[in-house]
Amino acid sequence: MPRPDPTVRFLAACMLVVLSGSTAFAQDMPLTQVLLPGEGWHLVGSGYRFTEGPAVDARGNVFFTDIPNDRIHRIDAATGKVTVFAEKTARTNGLMFGNDGLLYGCRNGDKQVVAYAADGSHTVIAEGIPCNDLVVGSDMRLFVTDPGNNRVWTIDAKRHKRVVAEGISPNGVILWPGEGTLVVTERNKPHLWTYRVEPDGSLSHRERYYLPLRLLPGRDRPGSDGMTVDTNGRLYVTTSAGVQMFDPTGRMGGVIGKPHRGSLANVVFGGPKRNVMYVTAGDRVYRRKTKVQGVVYFLKPPSP
Amino acid sequence: MTARLTLLALVLASATQTLAQDNYKLGPDSMVQEGVPQGTVTQHKWTSRKVFPGTVRDYWIYVPKQYDGKTPAAVMVFQDGGTYVNTKRSFRVPTVFDNLIHKGQMPVTIGIFLNPGVIPPTKAGGRSRRNRSFEYDTLSGQYARFLLEEILPSVGKQHKLTDDPAMRAIGGISSGGICAWTVAWERPDRFRKVLSHVGSFTNIRGGHVYPALIRKTEPKPIRAFLQDGTNDLDNLHGSWPLSNRQMAAALKFSKYDHRFVMGTGGHNGRHGGAILPESLKWLWRDWNTKTTATPKAK
Repeated sequence: MPRPDPTVRFLAACMLVVLSGSTAFAQDMPLTQVLLPGEGWHLVGSGYRFTEGPAVDARGNVFFTDIPNDRIHRIDAATGKVTVFAEKTARTNGLMFGNDGLLYGCRNGDKQVVAYAADGSHTVIAEGIPCNDLVVGSDMRLFVTDPGNNRVWTIDAKRHKRVVAEGISPNGVILWPGEGTLVVTERNKPHLWTYRVEPDGSLSHRERYYLPLRLLPGRDRPGSDGMTVDTNGRLYVTTSAGVQMFDPTGRMGGVIGKPHRGSLANVVFGGPKRNVMYVTAGDRVYRRKTKVQGVVYFLKPPSP
Repeated sequence: MTARLTLLALVLASATQTLAQDNYKLGPDSMVQEGVPQGTVTQHKWTSRKVFPGTVRDYWIYVPKQYDGKTPAAVMVFQDGGTYVNTKRSFRVPTVFDNLIHKGQMPVTIGIFLNPGVIPPTKAGGRSRRNRSFEYDTLSGQYARFLLEEILPSVGKQHKLTDDPAMRAIGGISSGGICAWTVAWERPDRFRKVLSHVGSFTNIRGGHVYPALIRKTEPKPIRAFLQDGTNDLDNLHGSWPLSNRQMAAALKFSKYDHRFVMGTGGHNGRHGGAILPESLKWLWRDWNTKTTATPKAK
């Protein structure tokens, strides 16, 4: 969408100031800014065993894993057709494309972080990491969750790995637009951890910045899993209650209902405009067009 | 062109409407008065290492002229400190404190005005983590601990501060208002006076439960002044006027010492600023009376 001309923007800002009076407060972000009226969930594919790790490429095609079937599937951005991208993927879970056009994945069955090429073959990036989810920054640094060992790893562009967070039970992981802040879900707790990313990849100043997550009645855990962010800094996390959306100051904006009664594992924005929300929902994958645009980190050229 | 004219018309219309509903004027106790001793305000920076590690924030300390350096002073903390300490905008707390302390309508009080924390980015031009909502809207004892373990001990090194929770007040606007309530609710052994302006007792982070908690919790020794306006916000987090009415009804039910003023203003400090002197007089009433003093903290 083209930006309004400077005068319109200035007057809109004036209106915001006038209406808000003398108190500065963060912009509210209700679901009406995200959801399209009359638009619901559309089934993309079914018959899988457990879908996860959706990732979008530069053209808007979405890839996802079917963990127990050891497969990675590809959803074509133009036709919506689902094809098999790779097989014998050894329980690969989370996925994300890097600057180099490779599809990075948590090949949990082999305790490896790998990079899949266009032909479905893979190279090993790191060994000895039981891994669930990952995020790849524009500088080709990865953050990887290792829930079994309650820790988060980083793998730098030179493929050196080290543990950067411990003592939490991580599952999903994502970076803010701008990549200065890392967000990690904590299993069975109604909050998300937020860390500042230091230049060397260390994580500092953690806070339960996003809380409280919505709990279904009678439950004490949100069932939080994978996350994504949009270009306005909203964060989306899949949970038992649906996709929970938070604004950039950590306040909940709302819960988007689940497409079916089954579980949700992960979410990404795909399509050529990256405005279509895709959720991996157990044995199925759904999509839903939105008003917002997802973030990818590979558009920025890597720092020299 | 049409878009600009329409928007200009909207700006003017909403400005006019805003002015009408927020047509509150400051009274004489909000103005500098001749013959009234003026306190001093100093500005500082705080880097938290313990309770909100990594955050930095500006804060200000007001010391009244009447502070003798020997007698422990009363304390009043304000969230969004920059807004309250500013003597040109709606609240002008240093000026109001000067006037009320001079007349004995409130005790010799040291004001601590804290801005919300920010975690700076590591890269130049990067996005910082704004901590205001996390600090102010979260229902927990964390912000109270920040005051009790970091700020007050530090201010207490330079100035003698009272330990008496009945002589320690906390105030704020919007999320700063519910934050003030949360501090007293969590630590009534340390803070017993609350001032809330257009307080965000809504579901930003679950704060809407306070009316329910107030009704079903053994009453705490808190005195609270709540101000809101019928044109305050109604959005995804809730309705501010309804939430403040709920708070007032709950405080009344549980027989809290409270006052609730509902004007016609919107989500800003104009009404709160205009009635600040009378709010503080009410909040600090009987400060000098031994018979109504609440028991000192152990």
